[in-house]
Amino acid sequence: MNFFKGMKLRQREALQGYMFVFPWIVGFIVFTAGPLLFSLYAAFTNYDITSRMDFIGLANFQRLFARDKLFSTAVYNTVYYVVLSVPLRTVCGVLLAVLLNQSAHFRRFFRTVYYMPSVLSGVAVYLLWMQLLSPSSGLINMLLEMVGIQGPAWLFDPRWTKPALILMNLWGVGGTMLLYLANLQSVPRQLYEAAEIDGAGVVQRFFKITVPMITPVIFFNVVTGFISAFQIFQEAYVMSTDKGGPLNSLLFYNLYLWKQAFEQFNMGYASAMAWLLFAAVMVITLLNLRLSKKWVYYEGGE
Amino acid sequence: MNRLRKSVSLLVVLLTLSALLLSAAVSAQEKVEIELWTFWGSETRRPIIERIVEEFNNSQDRIVVKHVYSPWGDIWTKTLAAVAAGDPPQVVVNDINNVALRAWKKQAMDLTPFIDDVEEFSSQFFPELWKTVVWEDGVYGVPFNTDTRFFMWNKDHFAEVGLDPEKPPTTWAELEEYALKLDKIQGNRIERLGFYPLFGNFGRDTWMIVGDNGVSWLDDEGNPRINTPHKVETLEWLIKWRERIGGRNVDAFQAEFGSQAADPFISGKLSMMVNIANHYTQIRDYGQHLNVGYAPVPEREPGSGSWSWGGGFVLEIPYGAKHAEEAFEFIKWACGPEAQRYWAVMNFDNVANIEGSYLAAEDERLSPEGQEVYRLSVENLHWTIMTPVPHNLAGYMDLVNPQLDAAFLGVKSPQEALDQAQRDVEEFIRNAEQ
Repeated sequence: MNFFKGMKLRQREALQGYMFVFPWIVGFIVFTAGPLLFSLYAAFTNYDITSRMDFIGLANFQRLFARDKLFSTAVYNTVYYVVLSVPLRTVCGVLLAVLLNQSAHFRRFFRTVYYMPSVLSGVAVYLLWMQLLSPSSGLINMLLEMVGIQGPAWLFDPRWTKPALILMNLWGVGGTMLLYLANLQSVPRQLYEAAEIDGAGVVQRFFKITVPMITPVIFFNVVTGFISAFQIFQEAYVMSTDKGGPLNSLLFYNLYLWKQAFEQFNMGYASAMAWLLFAAVMVITLLNLRLSKKWVYYEGGE
Repeated sequence: MNRLRKSVSLLVVLLTLSALLLSAAVSAQEKVEIELWTFWGSETRRPIIERIVEEFNNSQDRIVVKHVYSPWGDIWTKTLAAVAAGDPPQVVVNDINNVALRAWKKQAMDLTPFIDDVEEFSSQFFPELWKTVVWEDGVYGVPFNTDTRFFMWNKDHFAEVGLDPEKPPTTWAELEEYALKLDKIQGNRIERLGFYPLFGNFGRDTWMIVGDNGVSWLDDEGNPRINTPHKVETLEWLIKWRERIGGRNVDAFQAEFGSQAADPFISGKLSMMVNIANHYTQIRDYGQHLNVGYAPVPEREPGSGSWSWGGGFVLEIPYGAKHAEEAFEFIKWACGPEAQRYWAVMNFDNVANIEGSYLAAEDERLSPEGQEVYRLSVENLHWTIMTPVPHNLAGYMDLVNPQLDAAFLGVKSPQEALDQAQRDVEEFIRNAEQ
């Protein structure tokens, strides 16, 4: 204990604190911050992992915007997915939570049923969905046929591939539902009682009380939803034909990035793409934060 | 004096003994250990590659090869990381179509320093396969195995509809004629299909090669040959099949397909198909009730050629590997006639070594029918086109595939689709790094 001799208690505690976080700091610098900065530099080079790393200025970005047809396809596909998926997931999550917040029979059972899918994840789920979405023998089209609808070819028809993935990902809405559900239970009952006495209907109570009271959670889910929706990758990697097909309709941003990095070894180019995506998501998040002042309601003021 | 002599001779004996022991110990230490990375981990393949390794290890006492299995999804990412870190394994099995890219990116080592006479060494292998490992003036791998596709037909079905069971169709016109006779379609429901070009193991790309007299998307100089009249015609032909039978009906029919006993050919739902040589083993094991004939792929018109297509794998030494010379010794062994024969017979797989291929076709571990089918597959290799991607054009198929999709979905006419693909690939080549 001589080491700490001559130090004041505060200094000693500070030093001990740093020693405790030291492994984490090393890990962060070596495995996170280091590679992050490295990829930022790589974005301005023709880095290909094994043979070269020459500084080429903005050439990667020029190529992305001026000469790469697949890049614009990938951006279009990703934006399409984000724009439809995030609002849909939010609305479904809230509605589901409100429904399951009612005092009905088998409430626990339904809560479990709806939450269960979000426990499962990964490739197994995608393989299962590929079977469900199979054009002629899949369960979904068989059910549609029962009510007289000839279902689309889903993953084989480029007009339906992205909607198919959006619908599929609604399956996992249970995770966000749970957050809403927890939040709903903390909405004070007296607000509803007061509104009822004043003659507010169900719809009014929902929009004037429920929604405002849970806006902080909606906001949180929208922000994280945007971030994760932009990162869509696995679904397309597993479920598309020729990694991105048919007709490049599932060539999402990250799938194209992966192809550039690991099939063609254009790691510099892929790094440029990664940083562009980071910048785009950053801007959207900041925008969200700015807009949140207009619609997010924090009880007890700011 | 006597005692002195005795002790001297004892000393000499002891010294000699210890020297012998020492040298034995030293040579044991001097054995070079090298690692072979493959993705052959299945019950069938693993023992076969390990037997080849074991026989190599027993054939000499200088080099010890250790087989390391790495799953298909990981092996090349791992190799890449190992090359970047400067300490890669000595031998890796890699894809035959992108050797040039890895050569250019300094991921694979030039093997010419280890080959005394490149011309003589290369003459052991089918020329079309050897072509894939040569880039600029170097040799960046040695072809190991490959595959090829040919025509298979159900003789009983032929007899049933009054066709000569011993006479397969040799042209596309005959193919269509026979298919119409063999079809059993009730309204929208297909009970049996005579033929459908994309069932079996023959894709859109491969029909293009057959249709265009053996020319793939790129010619040997790397020029795009995408919207040639023959390719447009072939695409129209493929779409015509789909339209005649009905796209939805085809998909519904295909949805019932499985492998082994549920394979459409084996279950009698399909009378003719083009498939890989190895499909013979499924027919052998699950279709004992069938009478099957095997022949080359029907040509577009008489004389245009029974072309086929193949892929495969090469053995490479990653760039920066230590003990490259010893590694090459192993590659020579694994790609030599005996090891190749063993691989070919045990897997019923086509191999790159010509002598090994012909030895396998006569190997008694195969049944007489197996030998006959294998011989056909070896002959078929002479018609089999490989489609290695030029070093700077990786990813060009991402521009062709969507256009083929568009033509198949009826969004574009075959001519429009292939014109667009031609323009896109030309632009891609203009923008590619030289």
